[in-house]
Amino acid sequence: MSDSVLFRRLAKSYMAFILTLMYVPMLIVALASISKSRFFVFPVRRYDMKWYENTFSSLQIQDGFLTSLTVAFCVAVISVTLAVFGALAYARYDWRGKSLFQQLLLVPVFFPQSVLGLALQLWFNSFGVVMSWEATVFAQLVWIAPIVTLIISIQAFGYDGSVEEAASDLGASRWQVFRDITIPLLSPGIFSGFMFAVLLSWGNFPLAYFTSGADVTIPEWLYGKMIGGYTPMVPAVGFLSVLAGALALAIGFSLKAFSGHKDNK
Amino acid sequence: MPAEPIMELRGVDKYFGNLAAVNQITLAFEEGEFFTLVGPSGSGKTTLLRMLAGMDKPTRGDILLRGERINDRPANWRPTCMVFQSLALFPHMTVGQNVEYPLKCRGTSPSERKKRASRCLELSHLPISYYDRPVTTCSGGERQRVALARALAFDPEILFFDEPLSAIDYRLRKTLEKEIKDIQRETKKTFVYITHSLEEAMVMSDRIGVMRDGGLAQIGSPHEIYSNPVNRFVSEFMGEVNSIAVKRHEGGELWCESLGATITPPSVLDESFSQGTLMIRPENMHLVNPGEARSTNVFSGELFNEYVLGSRIQFQIRCNSDTFLVERLREAGMPKSGDQISFGWSPEDSMLFPE
Ligand SMILES: Nc1ncnc2c1ncn2[C@@H]1O[C@H](COP(=O)(O)OP(=O)(O)O)[C@@H](O)[C@H]1O
Ligand SMILES: [Mg+2]
Repeated sequence: MSDSVLFRRLAKSYMAFILTLMYVPMLIVALASISKSRFFVFPVRRYDMKWYENTFSSLQIQDGFLTSLTVAFCVAVISVTLAVFGALAYARYDWRGKSLFQQLLLVPVFFPQSVLGLALQLWFNSFGVVMSWEATVFAQLVWIAPIVTLIISIQAFGYDGSVEEAASDLGASRWQVFRDITIPLLSPGIFSGFMFAVLLSWGNFPLAYFTSGADVTIPEWLYGKMIGGYTPMVPAVGFLSVLAGALALAIGFSLKAFSGHKDNK
Repeated sequence: MPAEPIMELRGVDKYFGNLAAVNQITLAFEEGEFFTLVGPSGSGKTTLLRMLAGMDKPTRGDILLRGERINDRPANWRPTCMVFQSLALFPHMTVGQNVEYPLKCRGTSPSERKKRASRCLELSHLPISYYDRPVTTCSGGERQRVALARALAFDPEILFFDEPLSAIDYRLRKTLEKEIKDIQRETKKTFVYITHSLEEAMVMSDRIGVMRDGGLAQIGSPHEIYSNPVNRFVSEFMGEVNSIAVKRHEGGELWCESLGATITPPSVLDESFSQGTLMIRPENMHLVNPGEARSTNVFSGELFNEYVLGSRIQFQIRCNSDTFLVERLREAGMPKSGDQISFGWSPEDSMLFPE
């Protein structure tokens, strides 16, 4: 009895330790962003919110935010679209070279991203493509679309394909089957895939660094400022960027909960 | 002059690679009949049904609907509907949405949809209060009924069933079997039904087709197939049977080595017959009382086991190296385990299959 109490205490302390390890750095970033002095000293002596004011009024940051958001949104929409068809091709059809294609598609996921970024930059250059946020979208797709395909494939394998045959047997055209059966049944995977794509793109630095040209995403801006010209606006933007990610997740999940609620009514 | 068959298979083959899942099947379904396909697992029943429904294409041969070739017509353009082994209900819809789905596909108005779907739920004995329940909250038997109602809502000319009751417990299965048969009588539609349960086949069908290795071993009424199987496979498949190896004796008589006796065959032996199997159903075996005068096909052995099957009883009798099954109505004064008893059969109740 007392053994199990001891064990539970140990387990709890362990969990607390891990969580501390994960969240204390975030907390320090938050503290750094509200310290009055220009350089970070610990403990913080005087607090000031002016860095946040500066952040919100900075045109550069507003621009970066917009670029990051646009890239994330485009990457998410395109990768989910590609992934839905890719997942169906995996799960529903048998074709020659399927497993080879599957493996080749996943290889970029395991490349070091800076190498992948460099490779794509050289590739774009050789075609005379001008580096811009559009090129970043493409570069991130190479990395993110396979991951999203994997996520949606799990969903596609997770339900019995005979429901689609049944729908068609009941008179549904291909399009009706896709709209009424396939998409609704894939939707949990589509949702997770979309969220994943947004967050991966939002936080991605190496691919954007090599391909965005004159456009600057938030991670790129952070990097630039860290190298030269640190101000507490760096942790402020960092912290806001984490908040934005958390907010996106929260909105996503409440939308999902809401729509699920409606379905069950 | 028989009416034109509603659906027909002519010399149909289906290959998966080198495997002939369906092999040279020619078969016609009559309008309004209840046809059952039976056969061991892997004999090609599902494949055959999928070709009829339009989910698979035959490798060779033709499929005809009222005389018109429909090989290339996809499932959604055929007036047929299938109840899947997995039922294939739409898990993200309510019972009502599931049943309404075929009507929605062809653009029926919502009010008409609801009216017809309700009628179909009623036909398959589901209370209307289930209409708005998510289908995932239904029990196995209820899901079964939803699948049936959905197929009926489509209003097909032919309904296909692929072992729909295999996952359902015995008592409920009996009820549902009866309901399916009643619906078939009421709607006068053609039903093609797959099962591996013989009881199911015997009770429901107008005709039975026995499949083996992709081909049809025999087609006929339940009675025909049970009493006059064309070969040993069908005979064994259609129920318990006593089989003994026999061969032609010098004198032209039938000789059983293991019993060490001659046996009277069901009919005069064919000239070409040299050896084969003699089969007798357990219920065609008699117990022979000591005083009774019977001359042919009587043997004796030790009764070593008895099974009570409701109103009937089955005896296992050991006789030399063979074991015989004898099934009789239960009555007073029956022998018990350990008794030495005589048993036999009338020659006309036995079936002889040459090898
Ligand atoms: N899609 C398929 N690909 C390859 N082989 C198949 C496929 N479907 C069925 N088969 C094979 O065809 C044979 C008949 O299968 P099936 O029609 O499902 O038999 P049954 O329904 O009588 O159990 C089996 O040997 C099975 O393995
Ligand atoms: Mg089958």
